[in-house]
Order: sequence, then structure tokens, then C-alpha cells
Amino acid sequence: MTTVPLCVNFESDFVLQLVPVESDFTMDQVAEAAAHHSLNRRVKPQPGRTLRVRLQDGDAPFDRDATVEQSGFQVMETIEVYYE
Amino acid sequence: MALLNRSDWYDIARDTNWTPKYVTEEELFPKEMSDCFDVPREKWETYDEPYKTSYREYVKVQREKDAGAYSVKAALGRMKFLDSADPGWKSILKLHYGGIALQEYAAGMAEATMARFGRAPGMRNMATFGLLDETRHGQIQLYFPHEYVSKDRQFDWAHKAMHSNDWAAIATRHAFADIMSGRDATSVALMLTFAFETAFTNMQFLGLAADAAEVGDVTFSNLISSIQTDEARHAQIGTPALKILIENGHKEKAQKLVDIAFWRNWRLFAVVTGPSMDYYTPLAKREKSFKEFMVEWIVGQFERNILDIGLDVPWYWDTFLEDLNTTHHGMHLGVWYWRPTVWWDPAAGASPDERDWLEEKYPGWNDTYGKCWDVIIDNIKNGREDLTLPETLPIVCNMNHLPIVGVPGKKWDVRDHYLDYKGRRYHFGSKVDRWVFEQDPDRYAGHQGLIDRFLAGKIQPANLEGALKYMGLQPEDCGKDAHDYAWVWNYNKPDKVAV
Repeated sequence: MTTVPLCVNFESDFVLQLVPVESDFTMDQVAEAAAHHSLNRRVKPQPGRTLRVRLQDGDAPFDRDATVEQSGFQVMETIEVYYE
Repeated sequence: MALLNRSDWYDIARDTNWTPKYVTEEELFPKEMSDCFDVPREKWETYDEPYKTSYREYVKVQREKDAGAYSVKAALGRMKFLDSADPGWKSILKLHYGGIALQEYAAGMAEATMARFGRAPGMRNMATFGLLDETRHGQIQLYFPHEYVSKDRQFDWAHKAMHSNDWAAIATRHAFADIMSGRDATSVALMLTFAFETAFTNMQFLGLAADAAEVGDVTFSNLISSIQTDEARHAQIGTPALKILIENGHKEKAQKLVDIAFWRNWRLFAVVTGPSMDYYTPLAKREKSFKEFMVEWIVGQFERNILDIGLDVPWYWDTFLEDLNTTHHGMHLGVWYWRPTVWWDPAAGASPDERDWLEEKYPGWNDTYGKCWDVIIDNIKNGREDLTLPETLPIVCNMNHLPIVGVPGKKWDVRDHYLDYKGRRYHFGSKVDRWVFEQDPDRYAGHQGLIDRFLAGKIQPANLEGALKYMGLQPEDCGKDAHDYAWVWNYNKPDKVAV
């Protein structure tokens, strides 16, 4: 297990942020780690909706239970976290 | 004995070209230091500076300027303006002095490059005066804030900022190293005097002096006016140089250098002048919005200047004009949110009346940037200041070294304009920043931005506390909300009242 710093673009926020995650984190855990730095800080939560993770410009999100390692994220990969 | 008129002797006296006997012309003026365009010497001899002065005249005028600025300071020193000044205005002063004072010395070195290595005698002559100007600007802008240090230690950052690893200092140093200290004399003439001073500082100092007068800061207004008159003179070094370059077939390369410098300066403007005008200046004292100021003074003047000389507007002009609506709002939000990382106290500028003003000047502000401020305001009202403070770092652009920001809220539009180069991923805040990198990648590739340093383990402990320590910020230096959140409580009043 290694730490993978990511460049996170969170839906409706104004800035890209550095978010470190572990290589065995699932995409839901990645979304949760990203949300910690945006939701309830500058972005209002949307109860009942699910956060998903995709690469910047990616067409589809990664599976929610896919890990960082399985998803092939590189160090400082730019990802978007958004409400489905 | 009667003195000759200046015009009778000036051209001969300042023509210091001679034919070297002990070294070659190339050794006397190495291309890397003098002229990357390699224009022949005889072509440079047609350089005709528009502003002519002698040393005797220069010293007389400068002495009078200094006497004026220092005597106003001495006379008004007892009025204790600072004690009663709006905290937002104090922040403008701290930001200005920390960001500018030592860069004036660096600009002096750039003028010295032109004074020694400039290929045209007229350029060398003007730059010699420019060197003296910038030395004066450095000294006077360190001396004036010094008296405030005993009242407020953030003013000590007038001297300290550029010696630190604060993100704002890294961004400023990187930009000015690119247009001043890291260029040959001819490029400096284009990038510093034409693209920066003619386009930005000359006009900005006029506006800043007027703003200072409006808020009652007569000392600062006099100081800035005094500096501006120097800028107006030595900013003219670049125009005749551009004329020669274009006449000798170097338009394309000259255009590129101007385009690079204008963009780099614009991004600094977006984080310094934008928030100062639209958020820090008390609402009742705002004359124009930042966008209105830019369109009237910077865009109009620069377009005229650049077209008159025979260049084109930069290729990214539409992007730049669109940027005037957005970027500085994001920069301001970032500086306010990461306020412990700056040496001034950012004024939020988001009270109900201020929001009305922002919505009027920038239609759609409430649906975008306002959405972020809504959450911040709720957190402060609910006693959750902790949620209005950062727990991580923003990603900074590998060109301008400022946070990568975009439009939030309903029009969410934030992008990383990244580039993979020689096995490393570089992150950019715009396609133009990436374009600048692509023009000469190896010039920029080795530099480590704040995030790169963090990831390389240079910041310990690897958290925000370690980052503040790395930036040289003591707890007493760290920025706080300028008005201690007083603006938030206006949201509870039935009738909106500006702070």
C-alpha cells in the first residue's frame, strides 16, 4: 500500500486541491477523501446522491469499488469527483 | 558662461559607441546578455529614445520628487492615518509593499542589464536613469512601511516576503525572473519596459494613487504618484527597441516575447490588483470595478500601443478578455480561504451590499462564486470557523505558481491544462500558461513549484503547519479575516448595511 497524491477537481468548487489517498482505496473512499476538503466548506452537499470519480475529460466514472491501483492512477493524476 | 541647450549636445554626448580594440564586439556584447535577436550594431544606432534628459536635469527633478514625498510623509506622520484606516486598505498596503518593494531592486538589476549590455547608446543612457529610478523605488517603499512595523508586524513583510518561500513570493519571483533577470537586454526592453511597465504598472500606479487619495491615505498617494512619474519615463525604453526589431524582420519573435510577458503579468495582476479593487477597497470608496479599470486603462491603452507599433494583439486576446470576468474572483476566494498562508489580512468583501455590487458589475456572481461564499457564511454563523480554514494545499500552476482556479457553482468550469514532458506531469491554470511553457520547455522544466516541493519531502511536517513554517510565517504573521467576520452578521439584519 502506498500513498498516491491526486489533483482533485470537485464538482461546483472553484479550485484544484491536493488530496493524498492510499493505493488500496476504493473510488468511494477516494470520493470521500476529496469531499472532506470541499463539501460543507465551499460546496453544499446533495443528500441522497452518489459521488463518482472519473479522469478529467473521462467519459465514464470508475466502478465504485475499484481501487486506486486497479484504476491505474499515476501520482498527481487529475480526477473529477462529481454527483451522479 | 552660458549653457548650451540640451538638444545642441545630447546626441553626441550620449553616443557612447566605439570600436573595441582589445576585445571583439561579440565579447563586449555577448548575444546571450545583449541581444538574442542579433540585430547588427549599425541598425541599433538608429534607436531614438522619446524621452531625453541629462544627468543634471535628472538629479534636480528626482531631488524635488524625493523632497516632496518625504516631506508629505513627515508632515502627515502625526495624523495617525493607519490607526483609523479600514482594515481592507491596510491589507492593500501590506500586499503592495511585500510584493513590490524588493522587486524594484530586481528591476534595478534589469535596468542595469540594459545599461551595460543594451546595443543602442540611447537605451543604455535611459536605462542608467532607470537603474537609479528603481533603486529609489526600492528604498522608498521599504522606508515608508518601516514606521508601521512597530504597530503591525505584517508590515515587516515589505522586506521579508521576497526572501521567503511564501507561495505569493515564489509566484512573483518566478514571473519577474522570467521577464527581467533571466533575459538579455533587448528582451528585457520588450518584456519589462514595454509589456509590463507600459501596459500595467504605469496605469496601475495612476489608479492606485487615486484610490489612496480617495481613502485619505495622502502619504501613500504621494509616494505612488512620485514613483509613477519615473515609470512613465523609463517605460519608454521598449518602444524604439520594438521598432528596430520589426524593421529588421523580427516581428514574430518580438511578438512572442511580448505575448509571454503580458500574460505572466496579467496573472499576477489577477491575484493582486483584482482582489484589492473589488474586495479589499471599502465599498463606498470604489470608483470602478477591476474589470472596468482593466478595460478602460489597460486593454484600451495596450491595444493602441501594440497596434501603433506594428505588432498584433496577443493570440489569446479573447481568452484574456473573458478572464477579466472570472479569474480574480477565484484568486480572491483562494487567498481568503488559505488566508493563514499570506502576510496580509484579506478582506472578504462579501457582505450583502458588497454582493449586490459584485452582481451588478459581474452578472452571475451570486450563482457562481456566491455559492461558495454562501457555505462559508453559514459556517461562520454556525460557529464552524474550522470549516473556513484549509486542511490541504491548492494545486498551483507550474507557470504562474498561483492556485489553479475556475468558475464554481452553477457554471462549474475548472480545468487542469496539464502537460506531460520528459516523464513529469506539469499542471497549468490555463491553456496560455501551458503555451508559455511549450515555447521553451527546458527553460522552465527544472523549477519546482510549492506542490512539487511538498511531494519531494522538502516541507516537514508534511501538513499545513509544515507548509506555514516552510513559508516563513509565524502565527502572528498569518493572515486573518480583515474585519474579524463582522461582515457576516449583516446577513442577520432586516435592512442590509455594508460593513
